[in-house]
Amino acid sequence: MNETPSDHRVLLRGEHVTVRRGDREVVRDVSLELRAGELVALLGPNGAGKSTLLDALGGIVEPECGRIERHGRATIALQAPDLARRSVLVNVTLALAWWGVPAPARAARAREALRTMGAEHLAERPAATLSGGERRRVHIARAIAVRPDILMLDEPFAGLDAEVRASLLEDAVSVLRSDTRATLVVVHDRAEAWALADRLIILIDGELVAAGPPRELLERPPSPVVARFLGFDGSLQEGDEILLTRPPHVRLDADGPVRAQVTRAVPLEDGVRLELELQHGRLYTVAPLPAPRPGEVVRLRVDGGVRFPAATASDVGASSGDGRPGG
Amino acid sequence: MRLIWEELKAAVPLIFHGNPYLLSIIWFTIEVALVATLVAAVIGLPIGLAIGLGRFRGRRMLQVLANASLGLPPVLAGLFLFLLFVPQGPLGAYHLVLSRKAVFIAQTVLALPYIVALTAAAVQGLPSGLLIQARALGANRGQLWTLALREARIGVMAAVIAALGSALSEVGAIVIVGGNIYGYNQTLASAALFEANAAHYADAVAIGIVLIGLILVLMGGLTLLQQRGGGIRLRFRPAA
Repeated sequence: MNETPSDHRVLLRGEHVTVRRGDREVVRDVSLELRAGELVALLGPNGAGKSTLLDALGGIVEPECGRIERHGRATIALQAPDLARRSVLVNVTLALAWWGVPAPARAARAREALRTMGAEHLAERPAATLSGGERRRVHIARAIAVRPDILMLDEPFAGLDAEVRASLLEDAVSVLRSDTRATLVVVHDRAEAWALADRLIILIDGELVAAGPPRELLERPPSPVVARFLGFDGSLQEGDEILLTRPPHVRLDADGPVRAQVTRAVPLEDGVRLELELQHGRLYTVAPLPAPRPGEVVRLRVDGGVRFPAATASDVGASSGDGRPGG
Repeated sequence: MRLIWEELKAAVPLIFHGNPYLLSIIWFTIEVALVATLVAAVIGLPIGLAIGLGRFRGRRMLQVLANASLGLPPVLAGLFLFLLFVPQGPLGAYHLVLSRKAVFIAQTVLALPYIVALTAAAVQGLPSGLLIQARALGANRGQLWTLALREARIGVMAAVIAALGSALSEVGAIVIVGGNIYGYNQTLASAALFEANAAHYADAVAIGIVLIGLILVLMGGLTLLQQRGGGIRLRFRPAA
């Protein structure tokens, strides 16, 4: 994890931004800032308002209230990689023309951006003949080519199969990082956020519920709702507190202090995901093969997790809770 | 059936006779059709783009009007223009009634709805992300409109083809405003009507054949232009 370059100047600041779509308030009172050199991932479940917030920050939609300051030129690579029915190279040079890049510089810059995204060999291909992964590469190349001060990408890896996603993610990690640019990437998948970002912003139900470095958020989620979103799917009542766990925190151990019954077993690529019923809760773990079957009683050990007051954990909408490491 | 065959046989030599009257109305028809379509395109494309892409109050009403005007009876359009052009009318000072200019204006008015309504529909069918993305990349209005016209070119060319078809074939309006004056402001369509009214059926059929030939040539050219490098090619096979 890279440290946030706090000495770098703020390029984008949103203060108390609220955005409506029709009658619905999709983003509520969000404040955030992006600094030069930062790569921030905006993470949240479906319908959380991520794309709407991005549209507002990029100037595509007007916020209902709040203030957005941009110091430099901003662009967004929208989620749908819609390209004109021209060649790949023309698509990128068109973007440069729209951005105001002088004609003589366009072709070289377009080719450079395509090369950076591993798409130079596609330059002469008609955009209509590209595969989903190729379109995404060209789409990102187009946004990088214009060299904005603030770059925002809306789910750049959406709709790709695992292999293409992994390859594109690998290339994007280095390409999206720049000392002079602030980059905000909307991602749906937590793994993408870990791979990309210096800092995470978590948006749930239109509200900014957490922000910070990924490891820090994972170790100390600020509320049960954030913990749940970050994959703390197990819960165990312990007196006035509730312990939330992720599968790696729960380990089958014949000498373990906790007794549980396997209630469900879902085969995975490299093992089995087990649902374990306890007297005061339900935990999840991933066990190697051969794994116990549903109905079997096992013993286990819990190492890690986070504790919250039980009252806050029962209300998934609660935004407070003062989580502290458990185990 | 025999009558049609007889008239067709009589019509063919008239076409190849090199009749100066026929040649003059062929040129006038081409001139009227091209000028009317061009002027309708110059006026109608921006209006169609504004209706199709714009977000302003009254846009939907304009779209309804544009679509409704596709069904405007040419005779009514001609009557309205006639009332504008007569000496007592608001444009009477320009002496347009029964002139050649009146024919150009009438055909332009009839071609305009095709350009406006079909262009608006064509650009509305574009993926919205394409244009929003272009805007996010800094495209100004002119660049957005150029992109939209190019991307919707098959639909926009269909609008131009429909407008040209109207300008070549419509007869109701130009007969009223132009008077269908023999050898002066007749198009092929109005000349065919003139000859048919005079019971010169062979002449009417000859003019009709020339008009159909002209339509095929002009529309064929535009269709080739429209289909160049665009569209989806599906090969249909009988079910096994």
